[in-house]
Amino acid sequence: MRILGFSTGALAYGDFRRALDILKAKRIRAVELSALREHELAPLVDSLDSLDLSAFEYVSVHCPSSFDKVRESDVIDLLMKIAPRKWPVVVHPNTVYTPSKWNKLSGLMLLENMDKRSSEGRTAAEMAILFERLPYAGLCFDVGHCRQVDSTMNEAYAILTHFQPRLRQVHLSEVNSKSKHDPLSGAAIRAVEQISHLIPEEIPIILESVVSEDEVETEISRAKQALSPVSSNRKVETFYISVG
Amino acid sequence: MYLRSSFARSFANVFASIMSTKKIPADPIGNVQYHVSRKWASIDQGRASALTTARKLERITEGQPSTDANFVVFGSLARREWTPKSDVDWTLLIDGQADYQHLALAQEIAKRLDKAKFAEPGRTGIFGNMTFSHDLVQKIGGQDDTNQNTTRRILLLLESLAIGRSESRGRVRRLILKQYLNNDYGLRFSTLPFKVPRVLLNDIVRYWRTVTVDFLEKQRMQAGQGWGLRNAKLRMSRKLIFATGLLSCFSCDLLADASARQQLIGRAHSTIAMEEHLRNFMERTPLEILATVVSELRINKRTSIKLFSAYDEFLALMSDSRKRDRLKRLTPDSARGDKIYEEMRKFSHSFQEGLTALFFKDHKRLQELVTFYGVF
Repeated sequence: MRILGFSTGALAYGDFRRALDILKAKRIRAVELSALREHELAPLVDSLDSLDLSAFEYVSVHCPSSFDKVRESDVIDLLMKIAPRKWPVVVHPNTVYTPSKWNKLSGLMLLENMDKRSSEGRTAAEMAILFERLPYAGLCFDVGHCRQVDSTMNEAYAILTHFQPRLRQVHLSEVNSKSKHDPLSGAAIRAVEQISHLIPEEIPIILESVVSEDEVETEISRAKQALSPVSSNRKVETFYISVG
Repeated sequence: MYLRSSFARSFANVFASIMSTKKIPADPIGNVQYHVSRKWASIDQGRASALTTARKLERITEGQPSTDANFVVFGSLARREWTPKSDVDWTLLIDGQADYQHLALAQEIAKRLDKAKFAEPGRTGIFGNMTFSHDLVQKIGGQDDTNQNTTRRILLLLESLAIGRSESRGRVRRLILKQYLNNDYGLRFSTLPFKVPRVLLNDIVRYWRTVTVDFLEKQRMQAGQGWGLRNAKLRMSRKLIFATGLLSCFSCDLLADASARQQLIGRAHSTIAMEEHLRNFMERTPLEILATVVSELRINKRTSIKLFSAYDEFLALMSDSRKRDRLKRLTPDSARGDKIYEEMRKFSHSFQEGLTALFFKDHKRLQELVTFYGVF
């Protein structure tokens, strides 16, 4: 059975404690602690000892998505404080100014593929360049970003096929034309169905869909629908029968 | 994209291989020239001039295109056949959220091109304005697939180049190919020995037939104005687009990696690898496609020489202002016996003979394919 969870930033903007309360109440087993803005990272790291995360089978941290080069070492130092917990750390390629510094995180670092606004890390070929510079990094595959770059899902197919051994986590949501994370639409679900068989069962799925507390279960169930291997197989079988 | 290291380059090769694109020589036209010991100066000149012109256009329009709104050119510039009197056929290709600024952006591009003294696109209304991705992707066939929409879609596949940012062009081309191939149940499920995307092929044929019929309409509506030049383009550059469109479709059977065919006949009947093959194959210019095919299929030298020499003569004529202007002034009534017109007819016949040999005589499998798919 897949492990599905939420990003704290998607559930409660800038308030990870509230997001954790929501997730625990709903018995959700995976969480990504979001510190997307640089000023959120230090408070998050400082509060980790006081957080009860025992309800979660899987915990990861999302590194700030943007900061200046002069801040790179400070950010890495903060992340190193989390390292003993062995939680994966999701990193955007644009924040990796000095690859050698990030190798400290070793296998905990997960590089995320980017949306269309970025100039790197959008496609399989661009990810290959990044992984060459960061050989120890794993992959956090963001389905929404990838679908925004190529809605045929061919690029998703390429990334998942070629970087399968690196895949550690998946980000799931709709990403709209303004690159904002939305709840999964019918079209997004159909797109994910096409590549769900390339995402192994044991890979944690973190939803980044911005939803209200009331919508959490619905979004989880939509994600399950999208990722269900049965639905994609059934689709193929239908073709077989109707045309065959 | 420039790949910075050996690993990335080797990845690109592996990627290309898995995504079923055969390794093609970097310069297929140079390759043919080398093999037949010929130099086609006007073809080379057209390619060099196109590069210079594209760079100039990039400077002129710098800062205007975005990831969602690309400045895309068609015609001789996209085919890398630029001559001094070529015009710039362009569109602002929009694939993203509606924005009232898009019109202003298109107008700004038009203004800048005008200021830089680039000739305006023709008067059909197909170029020089905005094109929206949804029409290209969603309206394939049916009442709403207008002549204009079909033309834009087919040319986006066969004869287009993004100046500056290229993201929306890339996305839209992928989507169009997905629509053509993924919905082509014959391609995916039939037990035919051939693997050719027939729906796409039929649309390319439809485009060509429409162009030839519209030639007559333009002849009537424009009272013979520009007839001679249009006639030459129809016989050469338009026909080249059609021929290389067919060859692109046939390349799925002839040149795509075995893995692409495997994926098609596998359990999922996936078209992904074939889409990627076509996308990469069609990234080449029509002349490069022709050169790739004659090299890869080892087409006989005489045919290669006939095809490229005739096209070289066409580009030489297009580059000669005096001859081009003369041709442009010719009407159906004044053409017969005209020296320039006869020169054009002669090389166009040679080009046709080359195409006939290529498609019907020189290569058995290609002959089988064109016999099977060409008419019925």
